[in-house]
Amino acid sequence: MSFELALVWESLPKIVEGMGLTIELLVLSLVVGTALAVGLVLMRISGIAVLEWTAFVYTYIFRGTPMLVQLFIIYHGLAQFEAIRDSFLWVFLREPFWCAILAFSLNVAAYTAEILRGGIQGVDRGLHEAGRALGLKTHQRFLYITAPIAIRLSLPAYGNEIISLLKGTALVSLITMYDITGVARTIVAKTFAPYEIFVSAAIVYLCLTWLIQRGIGLAERRFGRYVRR
Amino acid sequence: MGNRYLAVAFAATASLLAVATPGQAQEKLMVGSECTYFPFNYRDSDNVLKGYDIDVANEIAKRLNAKVEYVCMKFDGLLPALLAGKFDLIAASLSITEDRRQKIDFSVPYRLSIGQFVAPKAKKLQLFNADGSLNKPAFKGIRVGIQRATTYDNWFQAIVPDANVVRYEGVEAIYLDLKAGRVDAIMTNPMKTYLEFLSKPDGAGFEVVGPQITEEKYFGTGAGIGLRKDNPELLKRIDTAILDMKKDGTLDKFSKLYFPFAIYPIN
Repeated sequence: MSFELALVWESLPKIVEGMGLTIELLVLSLVVGTALAVGLVLMRISGIAVLEWTAFVYTYIFRGTPMLVQLFIIYHGLAQFEAIRDSFLWVFLREPFWCAILAFSLNVAAYTAEILRGGIQGVDRGLHEAGRALGLKTHQRFLYITAPIAIRLSLPAYGNEIISLLKGTALVSLITMYDITGVARTIVAKTFAPYEIFVSAAIVYLCLTWLIQRGIGLAERRFGRYVRR
Repeated sequence: MGNRYLAVAFAATASLLAVATPGQAQEKLMVGSECTYFPFNYRDSDNVLKGYDIDVANEIAKRLNAKVEYVCMKFDGLLPALLAGKFDLIAASLSITEDRRQKIDFSVPYRLSIGQFVAPKAKKLQLFNADGSLNKPAFKGIRVGIQRATTYDNWFQAIVPDANVVRYEGVEAIYLDLKAGRVDAIMTNPMKTYLEFLSKPDGAGFEVVGPQITEEKYFGTGAGIGLRKDNPELLKRIDTAILDMKKDGTLDKFSKLYFPFAIYPIN
């Protein structure tokens, strides 16, 4: 068994080509998923039983099943129904890209909603009372007091979620897409050198993770600027 | 200590072998195969070895006036085991490739390696012109599913490099997406697709499109009997037997036991 460093150098540029798709999937799913999460968490804290319960069941289902199973249900499962194939939805669901975006967004929404709920619950009661004493209305208290603090409290966990989504995007290589992992697997099938190629892929992922960590770190400093000593 | 027992065992075996092979006995061919690859080499419900490879190997032995005995093992272990002398021949639909040729000898092919397109009947794809040549513009705007890093993949990259090819890990997903309409056609082995898809209810709305594609540069010359390089004389006898079987219709007969079409190279 030998390790050919040259193969790593040769394959890295090709694998970096797959990075574009990985980043697209990551960013788009995060934006859609986080928007959904805000809706979900508002349902969760709305005090209206039906909304609370719906959000709870949704979160339970999407947190409680593997992302790969969800992806397969959307990609292979939905395609089985003629009604879906004949509907306008098929324009999107035919494409593996949109299937992946759908699965990842729904997943991110479930996790992020829980993260945000944790953040909101972490906001000190006293601040609420102070806001009320100042005459702020409910939505004002939420926007100007609860939300900024909840976001700061949620950021570390949200950073984790971004990183785990980054790694989750590798699943799209199983539905014919050429993300970092998809490209790597194609090269392995040709070169029979799994060790070198997957190490190259791992290096690319590590670089992306480092960027995400830095980004979250900066955001934490920004949102936490008034609590720094 | 274990070594001493081994040595004794070896000595015992050697003396047994000496007794078992007197000078005038009928030649015995040990044949390695996978024994699980329907319908080429497999065991039926009575545990009898059957299949196209097995028929061919049996017939070769018969024509060489030799007894035949089979050794079953996983496909990837066959070549090393042949080289290690565990058996004399491989009859396991082993494709003749340059890589393998560097290690072992091959007989003339007794089975084709080919590709063919499969598509929904309703689509009426015109992938080929009337004269059987490839209609390259027809590949614009359609998606073709193939298995990653196969001979089909190589063929596409060389012949229709701008085709919209979707690459799959395994066979199941290809058929799922063909049925769902995510790909408009697939390229695959017509023998396997007949067995696994077209002959089943699932494949009812589908058909093979165009002629079998046999370009030797990409698909190799077919599957042959594999043997060690140290026996050119045996190779010559096996080649003669296979060529005779081709001429006298024996290979045709064996093909039709499993498929409605011939699966040996006719030219």
